[in-house]
Amino acid sequence: MAIDMSEIGEAPPVDRVDIWNREDMEPRIREILDRTVRDRVKGPYAAKTDMEVVAMLERYFARTEGLESIRISGVSRMAGGASKEQFAFTLQHEGDPAGERLVLRMDPLEAISQTCRGREAQVHIAFADILPVAPVRSIDADGEILGQPAIILGFVNGVTEPSEGKGHGVSGIGTRYDDWAAKLAPQFVDTLAQVHRFDWRSADLSYFAAPEAGTRQAPIWQVNWWSQVWWDGVVQPVAMVTYAERWLRENAPVCDAPVMCHSDLRLGNFMFEEPSGKFTAVLDWELAHIGDFHEDIAWAIQRLFGTWTDDGTFLVCGLIARDEFLSAYEVASGNQIDPVKLHYYEVLNAYKCAVIDLGQAMRAATESNNHQDIILTWLGSAGAVFLEQLVMLIRKA
Amino acid sequence: MLPDIDLRIANMIKALEQVILPALPRDQRLARDQAMLVAGHLRMIGEQWKSALRYEQVALDDLQGLARDLLPGAPAFLADDLAAALAMAEACDRASVTAIEQANIAIGHAVDAVILGGSDHAPMPSAAVDRLLDYALRHARRERSWFKANRLDPDQNDLPDLVTMLAETN
Repeated sequence: MAIDMSEIGEAPPVDRVDIWNREDMEPRIREILDRTVRDRVKGPYAAKTDMEVVAMLERYFARTEGLESIRISGVSRMAGGASKEQFAFTLQHEGDPAGERLVLRMDPLEAISQTCRGREAQVHIAFADILPVAPVRSIDADGEILGQPAIILGFVNGVTEPSEGKGHGVSGIGTRYDDWAAKLAPQFVDTLAQVHRFDWRSADLSYFAAPEAGTRQAPIWQVNWWSQVWWDGVVQPVAMVTYAERWLRENAPVCDAPVMCHSDLRLGNFMFEEPSGKFTAVLDWELAHIGDFHEDIAWAIQRLFGTWTDDGTFLVCGLIARDEFLSAYEVASGNQIDPVKLHYYEVLNAYKCAVIDLGQAMRAATESNNHQDIILTWLGSAGAVFLEQLVMLIRKA
Repeated sequence: MLPDIDLRIANMIKALEQVILPALPRDQRLARDQAMLVAGHLRMIGEQWKSALRYEQVALDDLQGLARDLLPGAPAFLADDLAAALAMAEACDRASVTAIEQANIAIGHAVDAVILGGSDHAPMPSAAVDRLLDYALRHARRERSWFKANRLDPDQNDLPDLVTMLAETN
């Protein structure tokens, strides 16, 4: 059934938001994007060796915490994600000879998405008593000490996909949960609801800014963020990406009540323990921002993040049928999903994915600025999936 | 050419899959993932390389068609640039992948400028939007088919193979 966007597209001047003012975005996002362009020329970037990581961490803990007799051991590069360099390691020192197992999550020179470790740390801390998240041990938001931005987290046990499963893919895409879905789906829905119910106004989120409620600022901030990523990094123009940007500006809906959005809650971005299936960590908060809850819902239901059962039923994030997911979310969150807004954010998310895959990933790989350029080009080769989605979604509107 | 490109690609895949990957420790997942992706890229390149020039020609032809469709409705101050990019594309060396790519990029920027409509964001005629979406769908389908072997496409089974896809463009 076609969705009538006219009530949005023909909306009177509902607010003072200039839909073409590209400067209107969160200040910290602007800083990160400007830093990306400024640092781009410093490449190429090479994956850090274990010895380099040990030296970096020894210096870091000596300087930031004054630790003595530091010993970094058990350094193990972690797979997963298509963005950050991640290492598990054990920190021992004079005051803690037994040591603690930690994770270094560090920006390469340029990644598939350029984000802020400071924001990530603040969200981890804010949700520490609400959701299973890795505890924050230390933060170097601008890389002033480590040399590159990083967050150091407590190590959490768990898996992102069943150890004995049929489907495994890059960045979790294509993972099949099969019998695990019954255990994981309710937690997934509840996690989304908890994120959206979070009282962000009373948390320390100094790296964040909130869009004005009752205006189109929330979606326009997102369009400005991602279109800036595109124009700063475009390797080859793509007409549909440009038209989608225009459409998104001209059809931006009002966000009545901004909420915290995880912005990448999907398969591959939560960990669970086997055999209970209990969530042990919600991962990858790097894209979190304050915006419209429809954005998270639209992100989760993307086809690329889903799987199909043997009888052809599409499962959101490989877990739950779409209608069932939407209903369960409404019950868990108390939010009423507006199909027109949901459709808008499906377009926005397809646009973001196209920008990430065909824009930022291609630029980072072209500059050889990532530790896993080959994964970026592999993911980039799927970018046209989002272009076709954009055509279909905009035509449907 | 002896050994030819197909043979060398096949050799590299064999070395990766039968020698290098088995030698990598199981816990070196990043190295194993990347080695597997190298094999995957090589396998895909093996399917693509003989058609690469044809593919770029088809892509440029299609983009030129879109540019011609947009030209009549383009604001005057943007139409000149679009016409110049079209002329450059028509004159480019169609036997050179690099020349075609450069023409594609030049014409792509001129098309983008028309889509955005300049600083006052002049509205696009609805017919131009229709032509643009028609083009975008062809472009997306072509790219999806071209990269079908990455197996990331949720609808990969609905896509034609490269030979069929390129034959359909004739």
